Amino acid sequence: MTPNIIPADTNGIRDKAAIVGIGETEFSWDSGRSELQLASEAIKAACDDAGIAPQDIDGLIRYDMESNHETLLTQSLGIKNLRHWESVSYGGGAGNAVVGHAAAAIAAGYANYVVCFRAANLRSGVRLGRARGPELIPGGADSFAVPWGSMAPAHRFGMFVRRYMHDYGATSRHFGWVAVTLREHASRNPRALRRDPITIDDHQNSRMVVDPLHVLDFCQENDGAAAIVITTAERARELRHSGTLTLIEAAAQGSGPRNDGIIYRPDLAVAESEHTARDLWARARLDASDMDALMFYDHFTPFCLINLETYGFVPRGEAKDFVDGGGNIRFDGALPTNTHGGNHSEAYIHGLTHVQEAVRLIRGTSTAQPPHKTINRALSCSSVAQLSGAVIIRRG
Amino acid sequence: MTQQSERGAQSQPMTRPLEGVPLPELERVPDYERGFWEGTQAGELRIQRCSACGLFRHLPTPMCPECSSLDYEWTTVSGRGFVYSYVIVRHPVHQAIREKEQTPYNVCVIELEEQADLRICSNVLHMAPEDISIDMPVRATFVPASDDPGVVLPVFIPVAQS
Ligand SMILES: [Zn+2]
Repeated sequence: MTPNIIPADTNGIRDKAAIVGIGETEFSWDSGRSELQLASEAIKAACDDAGIAPQDIDGLIRYDMESNHETLLTQSLGIKNLRHWESVSYGGGAGNAVVGHAAAAIAAGYANYVVCFRAANLRSGVRLGRARGPELIPGGADSFAVPWGSMAPAHRFGMFVRRYMHDYGATSRHFGWVAVTLREHASRNPRALRRDPITIDDHQNSRMVVDPLHVLDFCQENDGAAAIVITTAERARELRHSGTLTLIEAAAQGSGPRNDGIIYRPDLAVAESEHTARDLWARARLDASDMDALMFYDHFTPFCLINLETYGFVPRGEAKDFVDGGGNIRFDGALPTNTHGGNHSEAYIHGLTHVQEAVRLIRGTSTAQPPHKTINRALSCSSVAQLSGAVIIRRG
Repeated sequence: MTQQSERGAQSQPMTRPLEGVPLPELERVPDYERGFWEGTQAGELRIQRCSACGLFRHLPTPMCPECSSLDYEWTTVSGRGFVYSYVIVRHPVHQAIREKEQTPYNVCVIELEEQADLRICSNVLHMAPEDISIDMPVRATFVPASDDPGVVLPVFIPVAQS
């Protein structure tokens, strides 16, 4: 039987597609308008950035969680014929994955201009961090967790974090350095929702929400939308950003075994995205040392450490030393990380803003642009428990 | 069950499962999950086990993830295990937990002694949150849910106290 591995030469999307436009709405606690309005505004902004009209779009890739379905958007955007549409499941797991799907659709010739987007009132509408209502549970993973009080993402991910701390000696203070650094990046970013700098003591003294997670370890819950326009590398050379092509070099998704409910995985201290990372590097024929910047899905700060190890930036167990003091992950450090401030301090749009920031870094337009090196390649990688996705963006 | 929630202070142990939280609707749970709840009603921890290869599994599923057999049985296990990981929830996200002031409470992942990686989610009772630790030996006990006594919840207590 052929082993179930990805051959190193299998990368059918390599450099076939380029990100030509990025756009977003303002991020807020209460947008005061519908999710369709937010989506339309973000997509229009991304089209403006690309130098195309919304009517040129013929492909849409959304998150399963998205309320804006294809028919609504074709109507609102004036799309004449939607040649291709998809939705990708989960929130953090769909971040980056939507971009990989778009690259595949472009490489296959299914559409000329594919838009990936996420638009939601995640603060003024239904909040993910809150427990669901008192509805009865028909069965499944929730029925084996909620009766004992495990009812929010932080409860499940907190189990992951506790075990990681136990096995590798990381402490809350290490997570605090991630918070301090991301907030510093956000302080330079006018889009960011939380811009007041914090200190390590602010983090350590902040309210304990779900021990071991302080409130300053959590991402935000906010309203807003983000969109990305993707087309062929050939078309990209004719568009507004033709001077700086941002190509999609490789993408991967992965699950690992037994991921339903998060806490039943064989080793709770190890991220399932190790499977995603292995495939990504094999397809790209690259490794972490080839990356100039890291955009990681920061639903909770400890996952900075876990991503650093999973994708091979540092050996397992050594991320705590790498992030200590924050210098290495600062925009002017060895590995500029979440230079926009991330989900933690900029905004939580389910990982799409991380891909946008990778594009900005390559264009040289980040508000925390590394002064000491040119960013030629950036890794954007999403959620490291349950399903995960990753994408490498490179300068063309 | 009002519990002290100030940081720094020793918090009270949980003495029983949470009140007012959603519970499984036993008439609607799938066949391949029902044996778990029938077991707890009988005061036993019954875990789904593959009839072909003997592998225990939790969460319950229709098929064995190892050998793909669709045949399984419900095997009563000892109920002994250890704390594999845990959180202390200090901020209530559910209305009943907020209104009844049920924070702080713990949620623990218990690894059962019968098989490596065989884990279930539960609470450890009679232990102050500050005293819970990974690898702590525990054993199961069974408490009817106050909101639906037909649902019997397995919870754990420290072995040292039993
Ligand atoms: Zn089997």
